[in-house]
Amino acid sequence: MAELSGDRVAEVVIDTAVDGSGAPIITVSGELDISNAASLQSKVGSIITAERPERMIFDLSGLRFMDSAGIAVLIGAASKVDVVRLRNPSPIVRRVVELTGLSAVLPIES
Amino acid sequence: MIAFTMGLLLTAALAFTSLALYNRNEKRLIGLRVRELGLVLTAVVPSIQTPLASAAELAAATHGSPQKFRAFMAPYVGPSRQFASASLWPLGTSKLAPTAAVGTAPVLATLPRQAQMFFARTEKAPTLKVTGILRSAHPSVGYGFTTAAHKGGFAVYGESQLPANRRSKLESNSAFSDLDYVLYLGHSRRAGDLLVTSLKHLPIRGRQASDVVPFGDSSFTIVAAPRGSLGGAFFKDLPWIIAIFGVLVALAAALLTDRLAQRRKQAETLAGVLDRAAAENRKMYAEQRSIAQTLQHALLPDALPEFNGLQVGARYIPAASGIDVGGDWYDVVAAEDHRVLLVIGDVSGHGLRAATTMASLRYAALAYAAQESRPGALLAKLSDFVTSGPHDYFATVLCVLIDVKDHRLTLASAGHIPPLLLDGDHARFVEFEVNVPIGVSRSSPFREATLPVAANSALIAFTDGLVERRGEPLDAGLARLRNAAIGQKLTLEQLLAKLAEDLASDYHHDDTALVGIQWQN
Repeated sequence: MAELSGDRVAEVVIDTAVDGSGAPIITVSGELDISNAASLQSKVGSIITAERPERMIFDLSGLRFMDSAGIAVLIGAASKVDVVRLRNPSPIVRRVVELTGLSAVLPIES
Repeated sequence: MIAFTMGLLLTAALAFTSLALYNRNEKRLIGLRVRELGLVLTAVVPSIQTPLASAAELAAATHGSPQKFRAFMAPYVGPSRQFASASLWPLGTSKLAPTAAVGTAPVLATLPRQAQMFFARTEKAPTLKVTGILRSAHPSVGYGFTTAAHKGGFAVYGESQLPANRRSKLESNSAFSDLDYVLYLGHSRRAGDLLVTSLKHLPIRGRQASDVVPFGDSSFTIVAAPRGSLGGAFFKDLPWIIAIFGVLVALAAALLTDRLAQRRKQAETLAGVLDRAAAENRKMYAEQRSIAQTLQHALLPDALPEFNGLQVGARYIPAASGIDVGGDWYDVVAAEDHRVLLVIGDVSGHGLRAATTMASLRYAALAYAAQESRPGALLAKLSDFVTSGPHDYFATVLCVLIDVKDHRLTLASAGHIPPLLLDGDHARFVEFEVNVPIGVSRSSPFREATLPVAANSALIAFTDGLVERRGEPLDAGLARLRNAAIGQKLTLEQLLAKLAEDLASDYHHDDTALVGIQWQN
C-alpha cells in the first residue's frame, strides 16, 4: 500500500518503563505524526486501562517531530490521567504544545 | 493428441473456475458498494439533524423568535440544499400551524391529521423524527426535532422534496454511477414506501444487495444492482479469454514439444493478469477517496455570502494522498451591526467519524453564533457543548469577529494556529493568548483579543495542513506561508489561489482549509 498511497510512514520508537513511584514513563523517539500516532495511542490506551495510573510521564527527548495527531494522543492521556508531564521536549515539540494553547494541560516536568 | 485433449479439459476447468470466481467476486463487490452507499447515507444524517436540533435550541432560547429562526435556517433551505422548506411549529396550542417558514410552504401543513400525529411523536424525545408524505402531489420527506419533552415547546420541521416521478440518477461523476438503486423509507420494499430510484421500471433485477440505514426514528432501505460489471470488463471477459487462450495453448502444446516455451508464455500471461488486477485495485482506491471527498464537500458551505465593503474567499484542499478525509471546516456569516463572523476549525483524527463530528460542531457553532457573536463567549459555549457529554476527540477552532466599518478584529482561539494579517508590505501572524482546544476541559474563561487594523488589510486563517510538514519545525512552515503572501499585489481570490498552489500542492499529508477576508476600497 506504500506505493499506492505514495506516503511513507514516519519512524517512531516507543519504549515504556516505570519510575521509582510506579508511574509509567513512555519514551517516544523519532517522528510522531498522523501516519503512526495510532501505535502510540493503543500503547497509551492499554497502559491506562491496565494500570489506571495517577501520573504519567512522556519522555520526548528523542522526539524530533510531532504534529496535531501526536498532540491528540497526549490530550487523550491528559483527560484520563490526573497528572501528565512532558520530559525534555525539543523546541520544535514545545512550540506545537504552546501554539495549541496546551502549556497548562501538558506541562513540562521541572 | 493426448496433450491436446488434456489441454482442452484443463481449459474447460479453468474457464469454469474463473466464471465461478467472477460471480463470487461480483457478489462480494455489490455487497461492498451497497454498504458504502449506506455509509454515505449515514453520514448525511448530521447534515439533516444538526441544523434542526440547533434551530430547536435557538427557538427554545429565543422564545420562538421568527426572525432568529428564519435567519438561522435560511442557509439550509433552497434548491440543492438540505431542505426545500423549514418551519417553526409551537406545540401544545389548540390549532397546530407554523409561526415561521423559510422556502416553499410545508406540505405537512396541508395535512392536519398527519401533522397532528407527527408532532405527537416529536414531543416524546429529543431525537430526529422522520415522516414520508409520499402520496401527495408534491411527494416529500419530512424531518422534525423538538428540544424538550414538555408542552409549550417548539418543534422545528424541515422538508425535502422528492422528484415527482421518483426518478433520480446518481451523478455521472460520482463513485456510484455504475449502480442502479432503489431507496425506500423504512424497513420496507413496498412500492408505497418508494422514495427514489434510478430505474424506469421496478422491481430491480439481476445480481443485487441491500442495506438498511437507521435515520432518526425511521430508516432507509437501499437496494442496488450493478449496471455492468463491477470488477471491470476485463474480469467479466476472463472466462472467455481463458477458454480461447486455453484452446490455443492446448494446440500449441500438442504441436510443440518445447515445454519451456510454453511455460514462459504462461508466466507472461499471469504477469499480465496481475498487472490488470493491480490497475483495477488502484481504480477502486481512487473511488474510495472520491466518496469521502464528495461527503466532505457536502458538509462544507457551497458558497460564502457576500458583504458590503468586505471580500471573502475560501479554499478546501484535500490531502495529496490517503483515502481518509479530515475534519476541517470554515464558515463566514453575518453578525449584528454590520459585522462579520469568521469561524475555522479542525477536528482531530480522520475519516467518516471526524467528518461527522465536524458537521455537528460546525452547526453547533452556527447556532451559537445566531445568539452570541463575541468570539470568546462563542468558543466557551462550544467548549461546554462538547465537554458536557462523552467525547473522544478535540478540535481547534479560531473565531474572528470583523468590524467592517471600524476596521477592527476581535479574535479568540481554541488551540488554533494564529491567522496571518496582511497590511500593504507587512505580514505578521496575530499574536494573542491561545485557549485550550475545544474538548479539553478548561478552568479559566476563554480569552479574546481586539486589534485595530489598517484600511485594505487582509486576514488569512487556515488549518495546520497548510504549514505542517513532517520533520520540519512548525515555524518553518509559518515562515513559508508568510513569504508566499508578503508583498503580493494580488486580489484576495488570486492570493488564496497562489497560497493553495504554493503551499499545499505536493507533499501535504493532511486536508487543509483556508479562508480569507479583505477590506475593499
